Amino acid sequence: MLEHYTVSRRVFLTFNYVFLTCLGIICILPIIHVLAVSFSSSAAAQAGYVKLWPVQFTLSSYDYVMHKPAFFKSILVTLKRVGLGIPTNMLLTVLIAYPLSKEAKKFPMRTFYAWVFVVTILFSGGLIPLYMTIKETHILDTVWAMVLPGAVPVFNVILLLNFFRGLPKELEEAAFIDGAGHWTTLWRIFLPLSLPALATITLFATVNHWNSWFDGLIFMNSPDHYPLQSYLQTVVINRDLTLMSSADMKSLTEVNDRTAKAAQIFLGALPILLVYPFLQRFFMKGIVLGSVKE
Amino acid sequence: MFLKKWSGQLPLHLMILPGLVLILIYSYGPMFGLLIAFEKYVPAKGIMGSKWVGLDNFRYVLEMPESTQIIWNTILIAMMKIVAGLIAPIITALLLNEVRKEVFKRGIQTVVYLPHFLSWIILGGILIDILSPTNGIVNQVLGWFGIKAIYFLGDNHWFRYVLVITDVWKEFGFNTIVYLAALTSISPTLYEAAIVDGAGRWKQTLHVTLPGMTSIIVLLVTLSLGNVLNAGFDQVFNLYSPQVYETGDVIDTFVYRIGLVDAQYGVATAVGVFRSVVSLFSISLSYYLAYRFANYRIF
Amino acid sequence: MHKPFKWTAIVLMTFIFVFVSACSSSNDNKNTSNSSGNNASSNSSSSNSSGTDNSSTGNSGGNTSTDSSNTSEPAGEADKYDPPIDVTSVRIINDTYKFMEGQTIDNNMWTQLLEEKLGIKIKYDWVVSGDQPGGQGEQKMNVSIASGDLPDFIPVNAKQLKQLQEADELEDLTAIYDKYASPFLKEILNQDGPASLNSATFGGKLMAIPNTGSSMDGAAMIWIRKDWLDKLGLQPPKTMADVLAISQAFTTKDPDGNGKPDTYGIALNKDLYGGFADITGFMNSYHAYPGTWIKDASGNIVYGSIQPEMKTALAEMQKMYKNGEIDKEFGVKDGGKEAELTASGKIGMQFGQMWNPLWPLVDSKKNDPNAQWQSYPLASADDQPVTPQVGFATGQYFAVKKGAAHPEALLKMINLFVETGWGQTTTPENYAKYFTGDGFEKFKMMPFQAWPARKNLDIHLHVTAALDSGDTSGLNPEEKDNHDKIKSWMDGSSKEPLNWAYERVFGKEGSFVVINQYVSGNQLKLTEFYGAPTPAMVEKESNLKKRELETFTKIIMGDSVDTFDKFVEEWKKLGGDQITQEVNDWAKNK
Repeated sequence: MLEHYTVSRRVFLTFNYVFLTCLGIICILPIIHVLAVSFSSSAAAQAGYVKLWPVQFTLSSYDYVMHKPAFFKSILVTLKRVGLGIPTNMLLTVLIAYPLSKEAKKFPMRTFYAWVFVVTILFSGGLIPLYMTIKETHILDTVWAMVLPGAVPVFNVILLLNFFRGLPKELEEAAFIDGAGHWTTLWRIFLPLSLPALATITLFATVNHWNSWFDGLIFMNSPDHYPLQSYLQTVVINRDLTLMSSADMKSLTEVNDRTAKAAQIFLGALPILLVYPFLQRFFMKGIVLGSVKE
Repeated sequence: MFLKKWSGQLPLHLMILPGLVLILIYSYGPMFGLLIAFEKYVPAKGIMGSKWVGLDNFRYVLEMPESTQIIWNTILIAMMKIVAGLIAPIITALLLNEVRKEVFKRGIQTVVYLPHFLSWIILGGILIDILSPTNGIVNQVLGWFGIKAIYFLGDNHWFRYVLVITDVWKEFGFNTIVYLAALTSISPTLYEAAIVDGAGRWKQTLHVTLPGMTSIIVLLVTLSLGNVLNAGFDQVFNLYSPQVYETGDVIDTFVYRIGLVDAQYGVATAVGVFRSVVSLFSISLSYYLAYRFANYRIF
Repeated sequence: MHKPFKWTAIVLMTFIFVFVSACSSSNDNKNTSNSSGNNASSNSSSSNSSGTDNSSTGNSGGNTSTDSSNTSEPAGEADKYDPPIDVTSVRIINDTYKFMEGQTIDNNMWTQLLEEKLGIKIKYDWVVSGDQPGGQGEQKMNVSIASGDLPDFIPVNAKQLKQLQEADELEDLTAIYDKYASPFLKEILNQDGPASLNSATFGGKLMAIPNTGSSMDGAAMIWIRKDWLDKLGLQPPKTMADVLAISQAFTTKDPDGNGKPDTYGIALNKDLYGGFADITGFMNSYHAYPGTWIKDASGNIVYGSIQPEMKTALAEMQKMYKNGEIDKEFGVKDGGKEAELTASGKIGMQFGQMWNPLWPLVDSKKNDPNAQWQSYPLASADDQPVTPQVGFATGQYFAVKKGAAHPEALLKMINLFVETGWGQTTTPENYAKYFTGDGFEKFKMMPFQAWPARKNLDIHLHVTAALDSGDTSGLNPEEKDNHDKIKSWMDGSSKEPLNWAYERVFGKEGSFVVINQYVSGNQLKLTEFYGAPTPAMVEKESNLKKRELETFTKIIMGDSVDTFDKFVEEWKKLGGDQITQEVNDWAKNK
């Protein structure tokens, strides 16, 4: 592709870089603030002195976190959850998106199925019936309680089925003429062509599993089984001081340990931030990878 | 003939089956809980044992003196969020698409996704500082242009806009990624053809890029319409205060008060059912419109 | 075309595997939790054999804070179940729970003690972290109640207690309480007045044991930057006029000496009631009692927030706001955010509670070692004495599921708890082993508790007496701990701000001097209503509360004071009158 650098193009590009840089700065500042707080002394953080640079630099909050077994235990639970949840999510997403991406002429039931799935985005029975269902299916207090109820990410299914529909029809037809069935077509043609979409929904599914906390708190019967974000939720929550019992006087001194909270928030988000650039590589490769030119 | 056709579709049914089973168990199974909306629900008596009150819970909500105000606030805030939340990522994705320096492009892409990872509790504390009328950075910048300090979080004229802008800022990175993925799947041959026709960058964007994204835009609009009555609980709860109840009190915060303070589960569920029905209606409508006028099935 | 088939098979296999492993893993889980429960009990019995002697025999340093003359042996051998019994319960904890090496919530010094002394093995159906109101603990409990998953002994709040009672799910404890509660436990449960037990009594039947707390500990007082006061040559406040003058001086006379008008007279948070820097103490000074139920002149119970005194006090606050004595942005800042201002040395005075030095004043001290905070009793706006309002101190109840095999075990366990903590038979070693010692708050491991209302006040009285006499032999370990911290700060051997904070609470000038004054002067005003929410409250209260906050905030920020009258009218019309009626009916029938 040839680039024409006309004057207006140059102006636009300069503006574009400046604008995107500003946007980037606005988005990165809060996390820098959190990072700065995590490296500051707690008194300085408590007084709101910390802006974007640590005040009275110290590693004590990280030291504190490193000596908290609960933090590491919860990371293990999260890894287990992500390890089981992502394959489940992705497998089901692909398996559902493929048939639903067919035209109604070829697969008349598709519209019915599609609505069956969409309705679940809009209606939910609420916590208590879900809890009872989970109990009845004997997955309470196991990692499956955090995997199976959300096993079908409907939003991702819809995204993927639209990407599937955007693929050139000729390829599919060619495959069928060659005698391939649906399974082969899906596996050999659709998936390799959908890498950007698959990377996107993998990211969404990962972030979703990584960040959910409520199911962990309700469906696990012991804090030892909490995933990371559930654990963080119990740490980061603002305690209601009006209900501090006098027996709890000592815990008052720990109420506002902002620096430790900040350290844990940062460490909690870090793995996703590390995985993200890796997944990004796939966004860049588009349809160029194969398809039409072959 | 019929048999052949059916066996051709069999693999398709099989593919859907596992997901369907799971969703029937874990999504449709618990839906009997929606009955709570029509009951004076007491946890100790269970869903079957609680008293049936018909539409009383719905009536209670609609007869609340504040309900008009609350519903109006919710719709207004939610609609502004839907519109702004749609435009911002498209523009960002298009601008990013013009960037040729890979490192820069990836860097910005990563960075715009960052605010998504901070909870509103944390962001609330930060926003109070940067939006402060006395020493907040935003008002200092406005001061350079001779604009008088604005009490963003405490002023009923501004509060809704603050909600919309900060929400878009937190979440736009998410959809930007979807649009970028859509951009990569536009065939390069289309651009090449456009260049041959003598189209500049602007024309290419207008005639190749945007049309290539149409289906995904329509899709995301439709899905976001499911949020017409969802103003975002965590955000509003962490940012509002008594002085902006007038413009900031929304269905979610209302449900929080009656659900938590008063433990009126029946009413809270009724509000949820009401919201789901409205969402289903608006999604169905846009699904129908897209099909009717663009002959395009969104899902 | 073999591949498609293979692929199908793989997928199907995966799913079969998923389901099978789901089932098996849940089974595994049950097995492991059972076996670990057994391990726990065997561990505990083995470690107990090498543990301490019976506390009832090792009665060496009998130092109690009570003058109960009853000597009972609630934890004696006669109370022990043989063979041991199993009971189930659930646990709501929070992030401040810390465990000693090798211990867990299921296996710790208390579970061991209960098994050794009483022959009771506790098994928790679930443990959840998050004890704030409406938090995870409450939700999980609601889920348990709704799905009929109740343990033998159920920790509940007032709302849940009422629900369970109405659904007829609970055991009547009236007779069991009379027979099994030790005299000392009975004394503790009544120390804060009869309200605690009354609140658990329905139609004359006691349906739960309240976990009593201390209402006096919540009384409001004034905290002032003494160093600023001295610098500006001002005297401690005797009247409300003094308070207002101090507030003005702190705002206008640059008490921090930085040449900038960046200090505020008093701190105030956006929620107005509760949390750091709330409005209650200020209002009480004007004999206004926001958010609580009080008796009017004719003996009827009325709502404090709608009385005319409230209007006077709000008008005064409005003046202060206008003068810049209150942060212009208080309306968006919660207690935590106001604490930030305080810690950074912008606040000179706040109406708060006895515990404020521990948080957040200690941060003010850390950032500015010259900062000195001093507590003073509330000052009256007229010649009538101030009567600080205090809330109802019982937030938790222990109920027994109907048909549970050993309801009396609950009483035996609570007997043991109070006896170990403050009974005549306890020893310092015993206290250190089961309450606080080795840097751990061990009492948290005990699920069933009751606290003497006077505990903290007694710490103050005993510690100050020991500081005067130099004789620490009469102090219990908790008191000794506090004594040492305070002494190290006073004699300068420690510069740790946290020790300063303890000195500010329990020391000779500490906040309990103020509490002691309130208590001995019989000044505290307890809420007249402490039942579960009435039907009209359930339906109307959240809405009325919202209006109240909105109106009061706007008045402080400059709305006409007369909107107060409009609010009162609306409040009555929109359900307030109905609630008042129900509260009075409740009072007649209690």
